[in-house]
Amino acid sequence: MSDRAINKGPHDMGGERAGAIDTTDHGMKFWEKQANALRSTASAKRIVRVDELRRAAEDLGDQYYKLDYFERTTTALRTLLLEKGIITESELTAKMAEVRARFDVPSAPPSPVKKEAHR
Amino acid sequence: MTPGRRTQERSPLPSTYTPAPGHRFKVGDRVVIKRSFPPGHRRTPYYIRGKRGVIERICGAFPNPEELAYGFDGEPRKVLYRVRFAQNHVWPEYRGPAHDVIEMEIFEHWLEPASGSANPASPDELG
Amino acid sequence: MSNSSFDYYANRQHGHDHAHDDHAPIAGQDEGPPSEYEIMSRAMQELLEEKGLITAEEVRRRMELFEEELPYRGSRVIARAWTDPAFKKRLLEDGKAACAEMGVNLEADRLIAVENTPDVHNVIVCTLCSCYPRSLLGMPPTWYKSSNYRSRVVFEPRAVLKEFGTVLPDHVTVRVHDSNADMRYVVIPMRPEGTEGWSGEQLAAIATRDTLVGVTVPRVRAKG
Repeated sequence: MSDRAINKGPHDMGGERAGAIDTTDHGMKFWEKQANALRSTASAKRIVRVDELRRAAEDLGDQYYKLDYFERTTTALRTLLLEKGIITESELTAKMAEVRARFDVPSAPPSPVKKEAHR
Repeated sequence: MTPGRRTQERSPLPSTYTPAPGHRFKVGDRVVIKRSFPPGHRRTPYYIRGKRGVIERICGAFPNPEELAYGFDGEPRKVLYRVRFAQNHVWPEYRGPAHDVIEMEIFEHWLEPASGSANPASPDELG
Repeated sequence: MSNSSFDYYANRQHGHDHAHDDHAPIAGQDEGPPSEYEIMSRAMQELLEEKGLITAEEVRRRMELFEEELPYRGSRVIARAWTDPAFKKRLLEDGKAACAEMGVNLEADRLIAVENTPDVHNVIVCTLCSCYPRSLLGMPPTWYKSSNYRSRVVFEPRAVLKEFGTVLPDHVTVRVHDSNADMRYVVIPMRPEGTEGWSGEQLAAIATRDTLVGVTVPRVRAKG
């Protein structure tokens, strides 16, 4: 359309020109299965609503395109849990350090995308 | 013919459809999607705003996603319709045959009555 | 591990050794070191467990449901619709009720079945996110969630279908469904010729995921 796209979110992509489709299914990594099950459990138990998760993903702006599907949904879940006061930022940071240590990962790899997305 | 009628009446099975008391439009009505671009969480795709279509079916009344998205209860519920559009109306440069259609769900507050103008295939035409 | 009922770390190592079939993804799934998102997701789960809001068992069960049950439901439902005209009529009339009748519980999903005929071909998309009949087909394939599919199938469905190997003559009406709100969709493909007398199991095997989304049509391979 010729009008300027006022308030058009990054998710609202129907009608955009885009490239060929990779018609093979690349499946899901184990962590994606966990992330999916976590989100599904959290919404089934009404801890968060899918509508809220969608909104949080849409609010990522340009970051939306840089993140994979499950990175977006994971970020959205984080946003909602903080927003609802279910967890705090410091709790999450501490727990992530604990999990990272269990994985035996030396340190948090710097991710500019992630850092910005989580502001 | 109207989907869901049977189960809406009396069925022990869970139904796809819910009652839609006081619905403003009926199947076959010509409608135009509100040409409006407010901020916030909207389930009306950008590309369909301002386009004309025909009510294909009434799905029922559902919590308003524009409220649910911000942590509210979605009440009062909004009537949800399925609307059919002619592809060559939605996309002026559409290359396929004139009978191709696209359909989607639109909440009542995004619909306005359309005066009798170019319209897509009637709902019954595709069975 | 604070919670012994689900060993995440052990599962992570052995999480993809399921039998291969039509529903199984093709690509390899080398895990590599955990990303920040994996760590974050795992941390959020543990925090929610500690707060008593969810249990590891619930998450594990969901994971199993998505892996082992949901992906196989749709094919069974369609095979039944192919062999039982009265059931097909009920499925078209009210998808959720018809599935419930078969013992298939769609939970919160509301289902609309749309039928392919010699004159109409249906294809499903969600341009705004990735709404998909998960309770019937499991998780959507990668392409369904891709920007390219979501952007294009609404305005050039015939070109997109061609990329999936599906070429439709002009006299066939292409009916695109943008799954954008509360309804979920499944396509009832046309039952191919040469399947007379087939068992439900045989029919389910050709009612593959892609045919139920409408990007391909069922094919009968060499007789056997």
